[in-house]
Amino acid sequence: MGKVVSSSAQRESAQELINDIDSIKGVEAEVVERTNGTKTRNIVRIICKPENWRKLAKRLKKKHKIDYCSMITGIHWPEAGPEKNWELVYHFLRTGINDPPVIQGMVEPIISDPTKVQGNKIPLEIEVKIYLSETREPTIDSVQDIWIGADWNEKETWDLVGIGFAGHIGMRRVLQPHETPLGFHPLQKQHKLRYHDFEEMYDDAQGFQRKPQDTGKIK
Amino acid sequence: MAEMWISMGPQHPMTHGLWTLKVKVDGETVVDTEPDLGYIHRGVEKICESRDFTQITTYCDRLCYASANTWSHSYIYAVEDLLEVEVPERAEYIRLIAVELQRIASHLMWLGAYAPDIGNLTIMVWGLREREMMMDLLQELGGSRMHYNFPRVGGVKRDLPHGFAQRARAKVSLFLNRIQEYEALYDESTIFLIRTQGVGYSKPEEMVNHGVSGPNLRAGGVNYDVRQAHPYSVYHELDWEPPVERPSIKGADCYDRYRVRIEEMRTSANLILEALDRIPGGADTYHEPGDPMILGKSPSRAPEGTSGFHHFEDSRGESMFYIAGGGEGRGKQPYRVSIRSPIFITIPYAAKCMIGHKVADIPAIMGSFDPCIGETDR
Repeated sequence: MGKVVSSSAQRESAQELINDIDSIKGVEAEVVERTNGTKTRNIVRIICKPENWRKLAKRLKKKHKIDYCSMITGIHWPEAGPEKNWELVYHFLRTGINDPPVIQGMVEPIISDPTKVQGNKIPLEIEVKIYLSETREPTIDSVQDIWIGADWNEKETWDLVGIGFAGHIGMRRVLQPHETPLGFHPLQKQHKLRYHDFEEMYDDAQGFQRKPQDTGKIK
Repeated sequence: MAEMWISMGPQHPMTHGLWTLKVKVDGETVVDTEPDLGYIHRGVEKICESRDFTQITTYCDRLCYASANTWSHSYIYAVEDLLEVEVPERAEYIRLIAVELQRIASHLMWLGAYAPDIGNLTIMVWGLREREMMMDLLQELGGSRMHYNFPRVGGVKRDLPHGFAQRARAKVSLFLNRIQEYEALYDESTIFLIRTQGVGYSKPEEMVNHGVSGPNLRAGGVNYDVRQAHPYSVYHELDWEPPVERPSIKGADCYDRYRVRIEEMRTSANLILEALDRIPGGADTYHEPGDPMILGKSPSRAPEGTSGFHHFEDSRGESMFYIAGGGEGRGKQPYRVSIRSPIFITIPYAAKCMIGHKVADIPAIMGSFDPCIGETDR
């Protein structure tokens, strides 16, 4: 049998984290149990108001040792109502990693046993959701200085989704060409794929002949 | 001497793909770097928004040409989280075998591609020779040589074919012996040691803060592995340990990153052998495609407001998909698919590791992080 963190210990640790951050105003947190697959996962899901985000981020990093920023996702919801026009989803992991100690001039690797980890070392999955209200230029505070791993994630989110990050140093296009027009962000929902409106573009099976009504349109 | 910027890439052997590394040099010393990506950005995330959940697997295969299976599995686990699908245990074992075979093939591709970077041409052919064995086995499972499209939502496409277990055991055991040949080729090559030892130091705490994971992190002397910390599939039922390397005092260098990948291939090979022994129903029985033993039932729609994500140990680090349900066709398609590429996050860190080294060390450092641009640019 492999070594696994016990589900109850992970749940306790998640509950401890939630009890602490619930005291911050505008933050709601809960433990979500996901049962797909072969093992139950306990995920901490936090919904946070944009103005409290930096305070929460600092608390997560300093007090709860959430040290690994996995991914930032921006979503554009044009039809979800004025309160929830933009959504940001942050995914974090708690790895509990320290630099290995040097003993008599040799580095001694840290082999931690998942069945015995305690306190701030228990691995956790954290999901933070932030909703932004309807605006043409959505902005959120940057956490680039707290997790350096968030740096390129934020660049990508701005590049593709168009959510700005206040306080981010060195913002630029990362995946699209540098000369992309300002304000063009392809993952916003007003941009359709080019063949979106005509599914059957061609009459014949080989696809050489265009339908008369599609003449002049680009594919 | 005046400092100046030079561009390495987009066409440069160091890049292992298409991207540019802008390097600021003072004489021969690197003083600043800036990576520039996006040359093969093809908008996979946008394409996925107009495809069914089953159709997307094919696109995920093509995210990384060297490691197709791990990427499609990474996606499948996220979809199963979204749709709340139960997977039969036999299918999980078959998936584990497929993913670990792919991990070995990917590391062999890296091993073969890294050596010519630093002046050892022999090993390229040796590495690809064994990769061929792994690809033969994967071809038996998926039917194709590079892009297998093997997992399905709720299980796998096909069961292990007749005689697969016997061939897999023979080939993997042979491979375990041949690893010693690589070690002899590398560890006794003076050129290789000079080029890799004491170059490109990285420390674990710094790496975690930068978002670097996987073999690059384990080379720093910590045993963090998503397969162990957040177990999925049946990794927690098998007896194994993540491989860890003992780094130098200044941190892990290129040589440590090479060592940890060799050890990881051993771990993967042993995982395959163990999984073949323990697979429920036996490795020699065969079920027709669609049998409930290998394919669970799954809904095809995800309503609005649902979401799913899954951390997955790719051969290059922690990969992940985040999927929001509720797209076209009353949730038949995802509303948003977001992909976390480990190398997209690692490249800026690798570029920082080069500062202070000579220009000639750049290929050695960059290659040791195992870049793959297909997944980086998406």
